[in-house]
Parts: sequence; structure tokens; C-alpha cells
Amino acid sequence: MDIQTLYQLKSKFVAREVGNELILVPLTGNIAQMSELFTLNETAKFIWENSTEETTLEDMENAITETFTIDRETATKDIDNFLKQLEKFLIKK
Amino acid sequence: MGNQPNSINLVIAEFLIRLFSDSVIELEEGYLPFVDQREDRDAEVTMQCFGSIPSLPFQPDELVFEAKNEQQRFYSIYRTGTGLGFIFYNQENIDVIQQIAMLDETFSHWKVYSEATPETSIMPLKYPLGPIVMHYLTLKTNAVMMHASCAFDGKNARIFTGFSGAGKSTMSKLWSAAGNGIVNDDRVIIRKQENGYSVYNTPMYYADIPKVAPLSALYIISHSPENKMKKLSGALAISKVMAFCIQNNFEKQFIESRLSFFSELCASVPVYELGFVPDESVVKFILENENR
Repeated sequence: MDIQTLYQLKSKFVAREVGNELILVPLTGNIAQMSELFTLNETAKFIWENSTEETTLEDMENAITETFTIDRETATKDIDNFLKQLEKFLIKK
Repeated sequence: MGNQPNSINLVIAEFLIRLFSDSVIELEEGYLPFVDQREDRDAEVTMQCFGSIPSLPFQPDELVFEAKNEQQRFYSIYRTGTGLGFIFYNQENIDVIQQIAMLDETFSHWKVYSEATPETSIMPLKYPLGPIVMHYLTLKTNAVMMHASCAFDGKNARIFTGFSGAGKSTMSKLWSAAGNGIVNDDRVIIRKQENGYSVYNTPMYYADIPKVAPLSALYIISHSPENKMKKLSGALAISKVMAFCIQNNFEKQFIESRLSFFSELCASVPVYELGFVPDESVVKFILENENR
């Protein structure tokens, strides 16, 4: 999954902020058989909230390094991890 | 089974459902203890019941949900011009429609079409429509229905939820053996009250009187080689509890309403993840370790 796909997926979830975290609930399917919904930590929440139709990977890396004062390598890893986890969640669902 | 007159009031979780029909209404055994004779209040939900199944009485604008697995199709939900339309399939022959139902957009008025039996009575709450009516009742009234068992020690009610096979019924038996009351061992409704949250049983396939108890804790359970528990909070608690809430998850407003309900619930009622050994030791373990 890439950052553009993430934006397309946003309309298929309902999100709710809880403290510094975000809960995502998929709009289709029956979640009665899921062990839990998808929860996002602070960085993942930032990626989710700030991805737009035009956002590139580089834009997101820049935004994360500026906001969380982390280096680019860590930002790239955070984005990659989040996208992989979301993909895994969607497959499991 | 019991044959009833043409108008019946059911009180479930203190909500009134009024069924009426030109045909004689028959209820499954589990609903009979919930029949209420009082006529002095307005119903939260009315159900107009018909004794025949017409050709499709609604315009199926959009298929929004299908309850099915690899082998079977149970029911389909369509968005219609005026609310939702439901088609229920006969499980012995899915080409045969068992029931058709329509729910208005306020979730207050049902029209239910069922085939009359040879005795000319109808069974409008035949499974799975009964639980579906309760589900939409909870959406209308800001309550929730969960797959869970619930034990009551006379002061505190504890809910135990988890996957099928996680031990909900086992937990009921263990608490019952330890002298506690059981609200239900499979499905409960939770309502927010002025002083906290209440848990109610719902009609099952067997008869049981209506029960209510004050909710004190929620446990997400699984079998384990040893008893262990961990308190959950924040997004994790909400997401784990909500996963076992009974829902048709196709409408944004439904999910938002549930997220809001569970956010408030998990902020005021403790949520624990519990791994347990299925013997009487778990009751003592919980009593000694919760609220620490």
C-alpha cells in the first residue's frame, strides 16, 4: 500500500479521537468477528489525518520530521510500518 | 410456543415494542416472559405484522449489507426510499423467502410480512428478525447489544465478552456455582442511566424472566494456562469492547453512535483483558484483583 491509496481508503472508515490516539472502524463488513478495531498511535494518527489526494511520500516525511522532531529515516520507517499494519488489518478483516 | 391476541406489548431492556396484526401473533417461548399487559405508555417501536409475503413491497435502491458465510445466506438489507428493507431467507431452501420487513428511517415503525402457519397464526419475531429488531431498537435509543455473558453478585454486574468459544458460558456456570445470579450467558443490552450503566437480558430461545443489574466491570476473556488480568484503557479498551458489539456496520452514523457510546462507557466502567483457567479459581482471582 502507498500513501495515495491511504487517502482513497479514508472515506471507508469512521474515525474517533481518543486522547492522542485514533480508532478506525471500517464502514463495510461485520466486525463482530474481529478481535479489535484498528487503533492508531500519535504518529499514525498524524499520517492518517494529514494525507490528502496530493500528498506524496516525501511531503509526509517532511511533515513528520518537522512535527515530531525525528530524522527522515525514522519518519520513513513510521510511514512504512503504519501502511503495512493497515494493509494487514484490511486483509484480516 | 404461545398463541397471543392480535396486539402484544413486549418490554425488553425497559423499552416497549408493540406488535399488532389482523392475524394471531405467535411468539417463541423465550419472548413470553417479556410480554407486558400495560397500555399506559407509548411504544419505542411498533411492528405492524402481516400474514402473507407479497412481491417485494419496497424499492431495493442499494444493497448495503448481507449476512452470509461460504455456505449460507441469512438475510440482506437494502436502502429504500423511506428507510431500510430486509429480506430473510429460509435456511432449508435459500431460494425461498422466509420473511420481508421494512423499517422506517426513524427506526420506530416496522412492517413485517410472514407466511401464516396452517393454524393461521404468524411468528413475526422468528429468528433472526427478533434480534435484528432489538439491534435497531438500541440504535434508536442509544443503547448497545453485545455478545456477552453477565454475572451479578447482588451488588455488581460483570460482563464477560470474547470470541465464540472464549468461555462466556463457562464463566456463567462458574459464577453461578459460586452463588451469583446470571443476567444472561450469551446476549445482553447495556443502557446508560443517570447513575451509571445497566445490563439487561434479552429474549433467548428458552424462557427466562427479564433481569437488570448495575454494570461494574467488563472483561474480554480467553482461555489461558493461568489466571491473569490486565486493565485496558483509552482507544485499546474501546476498540476491544466494541468489536463484540452486535452491529450491521454499513452506516457512518451507526458507527459514530457506537463509538460515542463505548467511549463514554469505557471512561466510566473498568475494562480488563482476562486470561482464565476454566475452574472455580477464576472467580476468587477476579474478586481479589479487580479495582487494584
